[in-house]
Amino acid sequence: MVSNKYFKVGPIAKAVLKELVIIILVIIWLIPVYAIIINGFKSNTAVVSTNALMFAIPFTFSAYQEAWSLLAQPLLNSIELVLPVSILSAILGALGAYYLYNLTRSFNQRDRILGNIIFALVSLGTFLPYQATLMPLAILMAATNLLGTYWGLLIAYLTFYLPTGALLMSIFIATVPSYLIEAARMDGASDFNIFFKVVLPVTMPGFISTLIFIIIESWNNFFLPLVLVTNPNSALVSVAVRYFTGGFGTLYNASFAAAVLASLIPLVIFIFLGRYFIRGLLALGGGAKI
Amino acid sequence: MVNITVRNVTKIFKSRNKTVVALNNVNLEVKSGEAFGIVGPSGAGKTTLMRIIAGLEVPTSGEVLFDDKVVSKDGKIIVPPEKRNIGMVFQNWALYPNLTAFENIAFPLRNQKLPEDEIKQKVQEIAEILGISHVLSHYPRELSGGQQQRVAIARALVKSPGILILDEPFSNLDANLRDSARALVKRLQEKFNVTTLIVSHDPADIFSIASRAAVLVDGKIEQLGSPIEIYNNPVSLRVAKLVGEIIAEKGVVANVNGKKVIKCGNLIFQPIFDIPANDSEEVEFGLRPEDVKISKDEKLEGFELAGKVVVKVSSYSGGAFRIVVSPIENEEIELYALSEVPMKVKDVVNLFYRKEKLKVFPLKQVVEIKS
Repeated sequence: MVSNKYFKVGPIAKAVLKELVIIILVIIWLIPVYAIIINGFKSNTAVVSTNALMFAIPFTFSAYQEAWSLLAQPLLNSIELVLPVSILSAILGALGAYYLYNLTRSFNQRDRILGNIIFALVSLGTFLPYQATLMPLAILMAATNLLGTYWGLLIAYLTFYLPTGALLMSIFIATVPSYLIEAARMDGASDFNIFFKVVLPVTMPGFISTLIFIIIESWNNFFLPLVLVTNPNSALVSVAVRYFTGGFGTLYNASFAAAVLASLIPLVIFIFLGRYFIRGLLALGGGAKI
Repeated sequence: MVNITVRNVTKIFKSRNKTVVALNNVNLEVKSGEAFGIVGPSGAGKTTLMRIIAGLEVPTSGEVLFDDKVVSKDGKIIVPPEKRNIGMVFQNWALYPNLTAFENIAFPLRNQKLPEDEIKQKVQEIAEILGISHVLSHYPRELSGGQQQRVAIARALVKSPGILILDEPFSNLDANLRDSARALVKRLQEKFNVTTLIVSHDPADIFSIASRAAVLVDGKIEQLGSPIEIYNNPVSLRVAKLVGEIIAEKGVVANVNGKKVIKCGNLIFQPIFDIPANDSEEVEFGLRPEDVKISKDEKLEGFELAGKVVVKVSSYSGGAFRIVVSPIENEEIELYALSEVPMKVKDVVNLFYRKEKLKVFPLKQVVEIKS
C-alpha cells in the first residue's frame, strides 16, 4: 500500500488511478486524430467557422471526394515506388547483413577489417541526413538522364534505405544463436541455404519489423520526391498533400481529408503486422552484440 | 570411417588485455571406428579442441588431418566444416526451431541434393532405429528433452558421417534419462562403427562409451589411455579426481621394518610398487572409496590394515554411510570411508585398504620428521 503521513491509498484505488491516467493520456493523444478525421467531414464554411473539436453538422463527404480525386494517382505512385523499395531494401539488406555477419566472424584478419569498414559505411548511409546529399544527388541524376524518371527515383530511395535495411537486419541477425548457424554448417549447408533456410526464418519477426520500418519511412519521405520528381502526374502522396495549402487560402477540410487518406495505407499495414514490429523491437532490446 | 590426427596443435586467444593459451601443443590420434573420449574440467580446452577438429575454430599453429589429408593448418582452414562430413551433436542439440523433426533430420540430406524418396527412406530408417518415428511431424519445441536429443543424434547420423562428434551430449538430460541415452549412443556407435569423439566433463559418459580417452587439463593432455587404465593408474591426483571420487591425503615417506612406507599420522600405507620418493619426502596418496573400508574387525580379507582411526562424523549419502575418520594420533587429518552400517561418533575402528589399489603421487618437498 502506498501511504504517507496523511492518507493511505488502497490497492483498488491504485488500480483505478492507473486506469484513469492511461485513459487521460489516450484521450489527449487521440484528440488531434479525432480532429483530423472529423474536420474532413465538414463543409467548406463549417470547417472555418466551427470549433475544431465540434462534430460535423452538416456531415458531408465533399471534402473527402475532393481529396480523393487529387490523391488517387499520387497514392498509386507512392505504392508503386514504396513497395519495391521496401522489399528490395529488406531482402538485399538482410543478405548484406548476413554477409557482414560472416565477415566479422572470419578467421582471416583481413576479412574482419573489411567487415568493420563496410559496417561503418552502412551506418553512415543510415545516419547521414539525406537532405544534406540531395543537391549532389539531383545533379548526379540530371547528368545521367535519370532525373524525373521512375528508375532514378528508385535508385535514389535505395541509396538511403538499403543501408537502413542492412543495419537493422545486422542487429537482428546478431541475435540468432551461433550454434544454429554452426549446426547448419556441419550439416553441409552452403551460405545460401543457411541464409534462406535458417537465418531468415529465425529472424522473420525482425525482418518484418525492418520491412514495416522502411515502408513507413519511405512512404513519408518528402524531400526526395520533392526534388527528384519533375512531372506533376508522377507526384508521390507525401508531396501531393501539399496541394491543399496554397498561398491564398487553405482548404482545411480537404487538407485533413487528404492527410487521413495519405496515412491510411501505412496505418493498415501497421494494424495487421504491428505485432511483429513490437516483437522485433523487443528482440532488439534483448541484447545483440554485433 | 575416418581416422583423426591432431599434430602439435596450439590455440591462443588474444583479446585486448590478455592472452589465453587454450591448447598447448596437443597431439593425439583417433583410429578409424574408435570411440574416443576427451575429458577434463571446465575451461581445460576440450571444447576448443573439439571445435578445431570440427572446423569451427582454427588452430593458431599445428595441423589436423583426416585420413592423412590436412584439413586445418597453422591458422588456415583447408577443408571447411561443411565439407568435412562430420555429424555433430551439440550440447543444446541446436535443432532448427522453424523445421519439423523430419525436416531437421532431412536437412543434411537436402544439402546433398539427394532425391526426395531417398531422403524420406533414410530419415524414416534412422528415426526407426532411434525410436522417434512417431514424433517426426512435430516441431522441436513440442518435444521432450530426450526426444530432442534423439532427433539431434538422428540428424548427425543420417548422412553416414565419417566422424561423429558429441559435445557434452547428456548434460542437458534428466539424470534418470542419462543411462539409457548412454546405452543408446554406445549401441549406435558399435552398429555404425563410426569414428566417434565424445567430449564431456562427466567421467560416466566416457566410461560408458569410449574405448580410449584423453584427459585434458589447462590445455595439455595429462594422460591418454583406456578409461579403466586412467581410473586405476592416474598419473596425478588431478587426473584421479577428474575420473572419479578419490580419498586423498598427504603423507611422509618413512622406513618401517626395513620397508618403504607412507606414514599419515599413525596410519601406515604400503603400495605394491616402489614409492617414487625418498625418505622423509612428502607425497600425496589416494584411494578410491570402494578400496577403503572401516571395521571393528582386526582383519579383513583382501584388505591391508592401515591403523586405528576414530569416527568423527557419520552421515548418509547415496546409498551408503559416509564416515569421516581421523587417525587417532592426529585428529587434524580427515579421511572418509563408505560403510554399509552407521558408526558411532568417537568409536575407535580399524581402517583397511586394498594394497594394489593405492595410488601415490610424489610432491617434491622434504619434510622434517619430528621425533
